[in-house]
Amino acid sequence: MTNADDKTTHFGFEDIPESQKAGRVQGVFNSVASKYDVMNDAMSMGIHRIWKDAMMDWLAPRPGQKLLDVAGGTGDISFRFLKRAGHGHATVLDLTEPMLVEGRKRAEAAQMADSLDWVTGDAMKLPFRDNTFDVYTISFGIRNVTRPLDALREAYRVLKPGGRLMVLEFSQLPNPGMQKLYDLYSFNVIPRMGQAIAGDRDSYQYLVESIRKFPDQETFLGMVREAGFENAKYRNLTMGVACLHSGWKI
Amino acid sequence: MSETPERQTGFDRRMLEALVCPLTGATLSYDAERQELVSDRARLAFPIRNGIPIMLEDEARALS
Repeated sequence: MTNADDKTTHFGFEDIPESQKAGRVQGVFNSVASKYDVMNDAMSMGIHRIWKDAMMDWLAPRPGQKLLDVAGGTGDISFRFLKRAGHGHATVLDLTEPMLVEGRKRAEAAQMADSLDWVTGDAMKLPFRDNTFDVYTISFGIRNVTRPLDALREAYRVLKPGGRLMVLEFSQLPNPGMQKLYDLYSFNVIPRMGQAIAGDRDSYQYLVESIRKFPDQETFLGMVREAGFENAKYRNLTMGVACLHSGWKI
Repeated sequence: MSETPERQTGFDRRMLEALVCPLTGATLSYDAERQELVSDRARLAFPIRNGIPIMLEDEARALS
């Protein structure tokens, strides 16, 4: 599947040099930052909230835990985590500064200011010490990372022994007929919605293409294991439109 | 705990406990005046903007 000598990667359906991916992804998120949550609601018809709740149900945050929320942009996952944990700490890391600025403006961010840190950084080169966090989350972010396996290895490094990885990402539907219907929706409706709501068709075209290009459930599970995680499992959400992957650093 | 008004936009020194240079993994020093996190080994200074450290090589200032 991966070829070490192959130095191109996907940007949606385009093949581009690996060195350009981060900049292109930053371009997309700089462009969508202020409308990101509104668009998530529109694109998923509100279902992303149910998925994030399912993520928290499986994660079961406990008081005092330290979370690293990668690609956590607007703080959505961190806020949910802190509310469920009662008390704890969340570090939100994102490649895109405007996403973090947007997150910090939100009311929840002000209420929980003392429990939150905001850092601009790269998922493949995390600026944190080994064995720092109890929980690592990445929600709708890993498909935008140039080399997802490198990000998973970094997740493993910064988690404490006994720490938990949880990935929420779009995935593939198990049956070709359903996949076809879903493609019709995502390729026809979402870019138009992006144009109408955010005035930005291209960014949303990228989003749907990047979803289609991302590895399926089993392939990604193999990557989680390859990065060193034990007891790795996944759960489909909405029949596989999205998926949760979980793993432990033992 | 400390509800200082600069909490929203100022850099929180407690972050230094977890933060390291993304290239070398080494401890960083905080330059409050320039609002930078300095990695001696990488010879790079990472900017802090609005209290948010920018831990990206591309955004860092090379030290002479």
